[in-house]
Amino acid sequence: MSDLDRAIAQLRACRPIPEAQVREICHKARELLIEEGNVVTVKAPVTICGDIHGQFHDLMELFRVGGDVPDTNYLFMGKPYFHSTSEHQLISYNCIGDFVDRGFYSLESFLLLLCLKVRYPDRMTLIRGNHESRQITTVYGFYDECLRKYGSANVWRYCCEVFDYLALGAIVLGASTALEPTQQKGPSSSRTSTQEYIDSDIEIEILGSDNGVVSRIPRGKSKEAVAQNSSPSKSSSPATKPGPPGTAASGWSRGTTGSTSGAIFCVHGGLSPLVESIDKIRLLDRKQEVPHEGAMCDLLWSDPDEIDGWGLSPRGAGFLFGADIAKSFNHVNDLSMIARAHQLVMEGFKEMFDNNIVTVWSAPNYCYRCGNVAAILELAEDGMGESAHQRSNGDVNRSNGGMSEESARVLLAGPARRYRVFQAAPQDSRGMPAKKPQADYFL
Amino acid sequence: MSAPQIPNLLASRGSPRLRGSRGRGRGGGPARMDASQRKDLDIQSTDTDAAVSRLSAVSVGYLDDPFAPYFVNGPGIRRLPVINRGTYTRTSALDILVDAFLSHASDESKDTPTKQIISLGAGTDTRYFRLRAQNKHRKLVYHEFDFPSVCGTKSQLVSTNQALLSQDDTATFFTKRSKDSSDSDNESEWGFAGKQNGETDIRYCCHPLDLRRLPYTPSIKTLNCFHGICSDIPTLIISECCLCYLEVDNAQDVIKWFADRIPSLGIVLYEPIGVDTSFGKMMVANLASRNITMPTVKMYKALSDQKQRLSDAGFKATNDDGGQDAKTIEHIWENWINADEKERVDSLEGLDEVEEWQILARHYAVAWGWRGTHGWEKWRNKLEHQ
Repeated sequence: MSDLDRAIAQLRACRPIPEAQVREICHKARELLIEEGNVVTVKAPVTICGDIHGQFHDLMELFRVGGDVPDTNYLFMGKPYFHSTSEHQLISYNCIGDFVDRGFYSLESFLLLLCLKVRYPDRMTLIRGNHESRQITTVYGFYDECLRKYGSANVWRYCCEVFDYLALGAIVLGASTALEPTQQKGPSSSRTSTQEYIDSDIEIEILGSDNGVVSRIPRGKSKEAVAQNSSPSKSSSPATKPGPPGTAASGWSRGTTGSTSGAIFCVHGGLSPLVESIDKIRLLDRKQEVPHEGAMCDLLWSDPDEIDGWGLSPRGAGFLFGADIAKSFNHVNDLSMIARAHQLVMEGFKEMFDNNIVTVWSAPNYCYRCGNVAAILELAEDGMGESAHQRSNGDVNRSNGGMSEESARVLLAGPARRYRVFQAAPQDSRGMPAKKPQADYFL
Repeated sequence: MSAPQIPNLLASRGSPRLRGSRGRGRGGGPARMDASQRKDLDIQSTDTDAAVSRLSAVSVGYLDDPFAPYFVNGPGIRRLPVINRGTYTRTSALDILVDAFLSHASDESKDTPTKQIISLGAGTDTRYFRLRAQNKHRKLVYHEFDFPSVCGTKSQLVSTNQALLSQDDTATFFTKRSKDSSDSDNESEWGFAGKQNGETDIRYCCHPLDLRRLPYTPSIKTLNCFHGICSDIPTLIISECCLCYLEVDNAQDVIKWFADRIPSLGIVLYEPIGVDTSFGKMMVANLASRNITMPTVKMYKALSDQKQRLSDAGFKATNDDGGQDAKTIEHIWENWINADEKERVDSLEGLDEVEEWQILARHYAVAWGWRGTHGWEKWRNKLEHQ
């Protein structure tokens, strides 16, 4: 067993590793990350995850639900990402985001992801979240956690140096437009449901953590399932049969089973008025602390909102952007969807803007207080090999957005999405420190 | 800088751990307590939460309260920005209502108090000292009620703190044996009284009492049982997360006890609401794991329930003036805090978790009501122009 594997085993047990080893792993990670572009290309199949926020036990639960590394290819939208255009046809994980802060085990969570990144670079993509910054980690607890566990700020400093090298976004290529229905397990499953959908493409499938199918939405049946938003205050939904919470299946009728969807852009926060094309992102100098303004800041801080155009963000950084902005961005960049994290969603995920964007939130019972469920998003491979990619802006050599004129109005089929919804890990926990932080209330 | 994620060790000790808390735990350690004593200590520990949160908000610059450090043992713990903003908003909401209540107190010809505040379950609250620092205490008599052990600890703290003792050079610290000594666990009433007229000129007085017993103790029949409480001036009862720990009927009866004895009366309640949402259910479960239950919260789930509760308790217009209202902390942050101040507060830490703030702030409410012939004009105004 290598030192790295030992470190992974130790971190999986939620025990910190020695400072010297952290330093070494951070160094290796930086060497890997420095080779990655600002926008990493990831090949489906991939499992996209949102904010983790250092809820270590829940990260373990995520791996239980989504499959272990390297069996699953992950993309975590909270922090470092890595591009997994690998020869292995396993699954890869992508994470979009806030890995650290608040969860009491930020350090173990981040280091575990980082070790997995170093150990399986092609199976683990980490992209930067707005919390992966010196300033924010000082306010929100990661700094203090490092100080508490190591007695000095060295480990925090090593981690921050890694933050600066994390990619800003990812492009997922080769995602299929249809899902193979998950086989129901157990006697309680209804046989009819599989049969019912066997002949039609499934656009969205929602699974519980026990692998049970919560719902399925075939392509083209989307009108019944439009925009079930999470906030009850906005529930102006029609009285017709509502779709599952979070979904906004829009019913692309284009594409046949197994065909390739347009590319999916993964980013922690959202869009920037300074960035009209993916290529523009590639030109940024990302190797720095997250600035207070500008394109890089916006990508990590912005939020979609039900507005027209751009708006001021209540967060004090980044912007709000409306459906028109998202749709136009997707069109210009040959994208079928944007996946992002950054915002707590009580149902774990939420599709907006006629499924042009989805928020994925992967920290269940956020801060051990919010009572929300979490979700991860699985995108299946199209089974068409490399031929699938040529149209996408995910290709590094693609020239620029000006080319889009010729392909105007070509609608790209959205990827088939499988959301696995899961709850917080049970308190007992498998051999890990059982205690969870006490949630603060106003008392 | 300390860590937000450090578990609140102070709270986990199960009792308010205050500087100078000698004598705490008399009668033996936790092993010898029965379940209800244990529960009382768990409830009392919530005061430590509040004190630590207050100090955190003060340290970061949300609130100006030079007295906050006196009531926390050690340097304190830095809370998360959402908690700091909540502490700020909650405190500001109460300040706004209290200031509105006090603002008509300037009947210059008279030397006697014109307004009275009774703070229930005050714990280590610093409000009186803050009012005194702002010179708003002149015509005010201020009372606090809390468990005898809490009162005793606060007494020790204040009586040995030179800054608090000398803050008002016209007043002097006093202690006085309680009339109902059986209940008071040998703790005395204490406070500050005018130097010239002594104990006939009470300005601040803490009453050691298990509030749950107030309505049901035969020996406590009149206001006279408590040193310095007046029945003839407009009086505001404050319950910041206090009555919510009582059984519903018990809480009602406590309010009624005062309402039966003081004609011109107002009340401010600050408590959680919305316990049926997934956030609310988690809150109830998390607090239950700390042995803390809030019976009234299960009864009054929405703002409308809180208003009805106050109306039923007599806080409504009859022949006299009266009324009631309730707002969430989210609403108060949005609408009561002016733009400049919001910008100042926002810039302190840069609150990132907007969604978390909203969900948290939606689950706390301030409810207030009053009835009386005069002294409530600003409240009436507040109701009409909020």
